[in-house]
Amino acid sequence: MTDYEVHELMVCRVAAEVDEEGVTVMGSFTPLAYAAYMLAKLTHAPRAFLAGFDAVGMAPIQLSFTGAEAAAYKGAVCRWNMLTEINSIHLSNHGGVEAVSSAQFDGDGAINLSVIGSFDAPKVRLPGGAGAAEVIKMYRKMIAYFGRHDARTLVAKVDFVTGTRWRIGPEQRRAANLQPGPIVVVTNLAVLVRDDDVRPFRLESVHPGVSPESVVEATGFELEVPGEVPITAVPTDEQLRLLREEIDPLGTVKFDFVTGKDRLAYLAGVLDLEWRRAEESIAGRSR
Amino acid sequence: MSPGKVVPLDAIGGLVPDGSSVALGGAWFSNHPMAAVRELVRAGRRDLHVMTVVGSVDVDLLVGAGAVGHLSFSMVTLEAFGLAPNVRRAIESGGLPYTEYTGLGLLIGLEAQGRGVPFLPYRGPFGSDLPALYPDIYATVACPFTGEELTAVRALRPDVAIVHALRADAEGNAQWDGTSAADVDMAKAAGRVIVTCEKVVDRAEIVERAHMTKLPSYYVDAVVEAPFGANPTSHVPAYALDAWQVMEYAQAAGGDGFGAYVDRLRTEPEEEYRDRVLGKGRAEVLEELVSVARVLGGSGA
Repeated sequence: MTDYEVHELMVCRVAAEVDEEGVTVMGSFTPLAYAAYMLAKLTHAPRAFLAGFDAVGMAPIQLSFTGAEAAAYKGAVCRWNMLTEINSIHLSNHGGVEAVSSAQFDGDGAINLSVIGSFDAPKVRLPGGAGAAEVIKMYRKMIAYFGRHDARTLVAKVDFVTGTRWRIGPEQRRAANLQPGPIVVVTNLAVLVRDDDVRPFRLESVHPGVSPESVVEATGFELEVPGEVPITAVPTDEQLRLLREEIDPLGTVKFDFVTGKDRLAYLAGVLDLEWRRAEESIAGRSR
Repeated sequence: MSPGKVVPLDAIGGLVPDGSSVALGGAWFSNHPMAAVRELVRAGRRDLHVMTVVGSVDVDLLVGAGAVGHLSFSMVTLEAFGLAPNVRRAIESGGLPYTEYTGLGLLIGLEAQGRGVPFLPYRGPFGSDLPALYPDIYATVACPFTGEELTAVRALRPDVAIVHALRADAEGNAQWDGTSAADVDMAKAAGRVIVTCEKVVDRAEIVERAHMTKLPSYYVDAVVEAPFGANPTSHVPAYALDAWQVMEYAQAAGGDGFGAYVDRLRTEPEEEYRDRVLGKGRAEVLEELVSVARVLGGSGA
């Protein structure tokens, strides 16, 4: 078995949720989510229907900070715009699997991408939720992923509800004209699932080397812990090969797991590779 | 070619008076009308009410240059390069009044105005804390047929929309190939529309690819030729994101060098900006980044 890094395990676990029913709208380039969808498309879900940027019905692409958008259009069957996408995919209930991340997330499936502190003069003004406020309730499956599982991110109650799953159990969701389906949380420590209005999130699995107690400690909301907690499946050699050689050879996914002062240098390093590849292509043509 | 509605870039300052509400096209790091944004900075515009669906360096630059009196957005981010430093600073200090829309709500508000109705209903952001903050934008309505509770969004009319197209003719028939985001819906909702484009072409070239025309001329008031007019954001398939310029921007805006950054822009005409940023083969690399972007094997189904 090849050694893997935790971001690779997370990509594989998110990919496992991707299926061939409905449409997934990815919007702009979020490396971990993009990698998971591409991996699914190259393995168990070749017919997963994806929209990235305004490219609808994308082929799988190689990830890069400057090239993901262009690649998305190259393999796509259709070019729409935002309003057509929201009317034709989100609001008409064609949404299949949606992966989101946020500054805070709570046990009711609410996300905060707005503010920490007061709204008018906040301690931290976050980017805002774009369409997440409406769409996370509409998808059949909501996946929330977090590179750092701690009680500051997975909180008892978010400071501000930008958007929320709203109805969770299958009956409540059907009654509200929403597709029934779970919330799946994938973090650097564990996988948590909730699909019931009353029962809290349950610990579905812990990653190798992580204890259930440490996950409970790092989680700000109530967690149901079964007597035996399974271990999350580790990436296969073939998954790692696809990720490292085909999907993300430049290392865009890992960027979100690099912290502090190293971040800027890491990003500059990836961008250097992208620049050099373009320069070499120009030089190759003129030879 | 008749001059039609074509004006030079430096006419934009005069078309957007201080205090105007201005919707800026593009989304994420794609296709923002950056040449027009730079021109608004050069013209020293103040007190603009800027509207964006998903803004990035466009909005952050205008805020940092002191041009913005109110910001309406559903997201503003520099993505891998961090939170938008100027927007963040202005809001956290209490110095920038803002309206945070939900993403679909903002688009449906534009759609309502474009259709000439005062509001549109939809299955809204139920459970979100945002609608209650803005009773003059969001309300609850009952379906007249079934009684189902829906969210109503009020029609949104910007004074001006500025969007960046791939090409347009002198009358303003404008074409996009890649990302068009909410550009067309902003244009349909706005009182006046400025189209900047990579190239002004003859009507015959527009007719040849009429399926790419997303904005017909009767919506458009002014056309501006602005090559690389979305730089440092992308305009696919013409050129990719200039991540290196964005990084320079993020460092300037996040540190104490931003005054100098803005001063340079103010005194630098667009042609000189292009020489500085796109010279020495940089333009070719930004174009080539589109060519080398890779689709992977396997099923595209």
